[in-house]
Amino acid sequence: MDPFTVLIVLAMLVAVATGLGLLYRTSRSRVGRVKADAPVEGVQLGTEGTLLQFSSTVCSACAATRRILGEISTENPTLTHVEVNVVDRPDLVDRFGILQTPTTLILDSSGVPVSRIGGGVRREVVLAELGRVLTLTPAHTR
Amino acid sequence: MSSRITQVDPRGPRFSAGITAFLLLIGVGLALVTGTPQDLADRVLSPVFGLFVALAALFAWGAFAGVARHPWGVLFRRVIRPRLSPPTELEDTAGPTFAQGVGLVVVATGLVLYLAGVPLALVVAGSAAFIAAFLNAVFDYCLGCQLYLVLVRAGVVRHGGARRVA
Repeated sequence: MDPFTVLIVLAMLVAVATGLGLLYRTSRSRVGRVKADAPVEGVQLGTEGTLLQFSSTVCSACAATRRILGEISTENPTLTHVEVNVVDRPDLVDRFGILQTPTTLILDSSGVPVSRIGGGVRREVVLAELGRVLTLTPAHTR
Repeated sequence: MSSRITQVDPRGPRFSAGITAFLLLIGVGLALVTGTPQDLADRVLSPVFGLFVALAALFAWGAFAGVARHPWGVLFRRVIRPRLSPPTELEDTAGPTFAQGVGLVVVATGLVLYLAGVPLALVVAGSAAFIAAFLNAVFDYCLGCQLYLVLVRAGVVRHGGARRVA
C-alpha cells in the first residue's frame, strides 16, 4: 500500500476513535428511567432517599463518583450513599441490567428506585435529578 | 506481593495509554505498508513483527507486573507526576491492569494470525487496540473495564475472584 493511502487510513482510524469518544462523552452521566415497583433489598436506606452506586474493582470513574455522591450525602444527612460491588450483588446487577460501572440508582425513602444515572456522575446532574424525583426537606427547616 | 502498589494517580494510566496509542498507530501504518509477506521467514523478520512483539511485551509487563511498574508508569511517576498538581482521587490499579491484559490478548491474537499468514491480522488487531488506548488516553474511557463487567454478568468472574471495592 502506498504511503499516501496509509496516511489516509490512519487518519480515518483516528477519526473513528474520536467519534466513539465524543459519543461516549455525550452519553456520560446520562439520566434514565428505571422500571421498578419493588424496593431494593439488603441496602441500608436513608430516611428520605438513597444513592445506590454500583462499582467494580475494574472501574476508572468509580472513585470520582464515590467522592461526589459521598459529598452530596454528607451535605444532606437524610440521604445515604451506598456502594455495592457488582460481584457481591449479582441479583441487583441482573435485575437492573447493569452494563457499566459506575451506575447510580436513586432510591426513594421506601427503597424503590426512581432514577438511574449511567456512568461517572456530574454533581449538578445528581442534584437536579434528586430535586426532580425526591421531595427533600430543606436543610434550614430541620 | 506485599510491595505491590494498589492505588495510582489516574492520570498515570492515561499517560501510558497515550504513548501506547501512538506506538499502535505507527504499528498499524507499518502493517499496512508491509502487508503479509508470503514467506514465514520474511514475516518474522519484518520490522512490523518486531514492533508488535515489543507492544505485546509491554502489555504483558503491565498485566503481570502491574501498571505502576510498567515503563510508562515509572516514567510518569518520575518525570511527569512531580510537575502536576495532586490528583483529586486515586484509582485502583485493578482496572488499568486488567485493561493491559485485554491489550495483550488482542495483540497476541494478531501476532499468531499474522504468523499463520492471515491477511490484515496486525492491521485489525492493532486498530482495535489503538481505539481502546486512544479512548483511554483522550476520553478517560476504559473499554477493558466494560469487558470486565460483561465477564461478571456471564458468571466468569465471581465473588472472591476480584478484590472488594472499599
